[in-house]
Amino acid sequence: MTTIRVKFTKEEDLKYISHLDLMRLFQRAFRRANIPIKYSQGFNPHPKFSLATALPLGVTSDGEYMDIELEKEINTKTFIDDLNSVLPKGIRILKASYVDGKKSLMSLIRWSTYIVEFNIKEDLANDIVENSINSILNKDKILITKTKRKRNKVIERKIDIRKYIKDIMLLIKEGKKIIIKTTLKTGSQGNLKPNVILDLLQEYGNLKIDCDNIKIHRLELFIEHNEKVVTPI
Amino acid sequence: MINKKLLDKVLSKVEKPARYIGNEQNSIKKNINEVEVRFAFAFPDTYEVGMSHLGLHILYNLLNKKDDIYCERVFAPWIDMEEQIKKNNIPLYALESKDPIKEFDFIGFTLQYEMSYTNVINMLHLAQIPILSKDRKEEDPFIIAGGPCAYNPEPLADIIDFFIIGEAEELILEILNEYKKWKKEGKTKKAFLEKICKLEGVYVPSFYDVKYNEDNTIKEIVPKKEDYPRKIQKRIIENLDEAFFPEEVIIPYIETVHDRISLEVFRGCTRGCRFCQAGMIYRPVRERSIENLINLARKLVKATGHEEISLSSLSTGDYSKLEELVLKLMDEFKEKRIGLSLPSLRLDSLDISIIEEIQKVRKTGLTFAPEAGTQRLRDVINKGIEEEDLIKSVENAFNLGWSTVKLYFMLGLPTETMEDIEGIKDLAYKVKDLFFDLPKGKRKGNLKITVSTSCFVPKPFTPFQWHPQDSIEAFNKKQKHLKDIIKDRKITYNYHDPELSFLEAVFARGDRRLSKVLIKAWEKGCRFDGWAELFKYQNWMEAFEETGIDPHFYANRKRDYDEVLPWDFIDVGVSKEYLIKENEKAQKGILTRDCRLGCTGCGINQSSIGGVC
Repeated sequence: MTTIRVKFTKEEDLKYISHLDLMRLFQRAFRRANIPIKYSQGFNPHPKFSLATALPLGVTSDGEYMDIELEKEINTKTFIDDLNSVLPKGIRILKASYVDGKKSLMSLIRWSTYIVEFNIKEDLANDIVENSINSILNKDKILITKTKRKRNKVIERKIDIRKYIKDIMLLIKEGKKIIIKTTLKTGSQGNLKPNVILDLLQEYGNLKIDCDNIKIHRLELFIEHNEKVVTPI
Repeated sequence: MINKKLLDKVLSKVEKPARYIGNEQNSIKKNINEVEVRFAFAFPDTYEVGMSHLGLHILYNLLNKKDDIYCERVFAPWIDMEEQIKKNNIPLYALESKDPIKEFDFIGFTLQYEMSYTNVINMLHLAQIPILSKDRKEEDPFIIAGGPCAYNPEPLADIIDFFIIGEAEELILEILNEYKKWKKEGKTKKAFLEKICKLEGVYVPSFYDVKYNEDNTIKEIVPKKEDYPRKIQKRIIENLDEAFFPEEVIIPYIETVHDRISLEVFRGCTRGCRFCQAGMIYRPVRERSIENLINLARKLVKATGHEEISLSSLSTGDYSKLEELVLKLMDEFKEKRIGLSLPSLRLDSLDISIIEEIQKVRKTGLTFAPEAGTQRLRDVINKGIEEEDLIKSVENAFNLGWSTVKLYFMLGLPTETMEDIEGIKDLAYKVKDLFFDLPKGKRKGNLKITVSTSCFVPKPFTPFQWHPQDSIEAFNKKQKHLKDIIKDRKITYNYHDPELSFLEAVFARGDRRLSKVLIKAWEKGCRFDGWAELFKYQNWMEAFEETGIDPHFYANRKRDYDEVLPWDFIDVGVSKEYLIKENEKAQKGILTRDCRLGCTGCGINQSSIGGVC
């Protein structure tokens, strides 16, 4: 099995491209770059590659990953250069490395780190902002209701999302502008979207957030290896 | 340039924001200080529909090949984006430069279907440009239009400054050359129009007066000045191999309706189906050579990475060397897993070995368009398909492992009776029996037959242009009858909305008095009429009522041969005598042969347009 793991960015206008459209974009890029990608069997053969996790629409990233199955091994530098030469501005392959592709990348992902930039409606002192962040971190449990549709039934269930929040840090506060860094659970064992943190800051931290100018950027994805949190490559 | 920060804010609030960002690979950016003419190619529907249109890619790249012309794109914003740009006072902008299109020299609309006319009006309004030609100032752009619906331009006569009739590749450059000269001379817009109205294929509606009879039919269409042309001749490209075809096309970020490479294999059609406008107006047939097509395919695959190549034309099975072309393309691209699709194959030209070859990469459903349920009616419309052909093709297909078949028909064709309607059901049931007649081991998959009926819309420049359209009630009755008698869970019956087809029929054969109905309907909130969820029939009816115009006069009235038709001043090369002769033959169910088997005398090769068959 020849599986290559790739780290890439998704920036600028490309933040408006959905997960499915990104998949199609890569399919075409592989073809244009003559990457010897493996295809599935059957009536509708499709190229074998999978993205680690979907990035929400409107979010930029420096740390996206995918696994690609190849027909034959090629030099990683050539692979990166060839692919970058056909990719649109806003998507760059940063790293590539062969992996043992026994487990799907998707199932390995555990955490994401985000930078979230937003404005508050009225200027507050630094420690008040710190306090409102702590009001979330100091909680043992944060229950939210999730609704799921199953056939015609709506199933409601309460889940504790506190354990999905690893940390929240205030990076910058300049007047009304605030930048925080947060690491949140991501993947099949639990997933928390970064905008939930903003909801919590409003609800528990009493921050009044201007909903119009929120910028979210994913810095990195993490897997757990030998009980340590590490990057996928 | 519009405020990018504001745009960013707006884009976070709309669905599919990538419709409005441009910057796709192979899109073209120029320095606006280095160009002389700015042209906005305007498609009056969504980005996904417009980007699937081959004509856009041809003209976009053709114009941008010229250093002094900058062609950009603009599409109809979806209603959520419309609300946002109105609220934030963002004028409709072009995707490449993000400049408001009101600053451009030309805005060129392509008219692909009648039900996009309200979008033309809406786009002008969102661009903050006056809707009526007469209200526009010297500094406003020229609003122009072309495409198949421009063959009857009259319903948009009050809105569009001039139309391009026919194939635009050469004419558009001639017009823009005149424009560059005119710009230096500093003359009035009218002076420019007077200059270009002499170019073959240009129609300036404001240069003509239409006089009416007491019964509301047209008395005559008169040029306001002696030297304005009495007849407008359509333009054609004589040699397709010498015509421009793009070697790089824009790769959309989001999935479009036809997300593939489109290779135009030929223009025109020799079949002569009597309901078909495209088959008449795009004559004569002109093919692209195999060498040229393969070369283009190679370049386009390299430039786009698309996984599918579609061979496009009005009837791809009629391409003289189809088999050779298919084999060569498959040979070249099989390894890259690039599929081929032949969207318009006719039953009788369906060579199953070709289909088999194609399906080596991807297997899709099969679509047949018998158009009518009985042989009698198929002969009336000159479809020239025998039931045997259909049976044989379907049998072959089932034998080869297909199990999904789509059958397309039209309701309301001239001379149709209930027997013809029931023929649709009979045909569908025969197809079903063919499947179950196969020995059990040979049957593959789950049989699924889809029967779709559209409502016949009589179109200008066809032998049926004098016929009344069925009333909405008649369509409803026929559809209900089919619904009642098709009772098989293997067969799904779909049908078109007759109310929409009724409006199509009004505008397809309308005159310039309809401009005010269009504007009235738009004022009442009509736009994206082709989208079922936004179609507001009641508002349209109010618009007719309030403007004092009877839609049935246009849709449901039988015209006499000697009536002056609103599009009579346009010469498409096919003579009126031929259309009358064809209509007469239709009434008697007499077939006219495919004209490749011998000239049928439509007039295209004798007209001054320059057609050689």
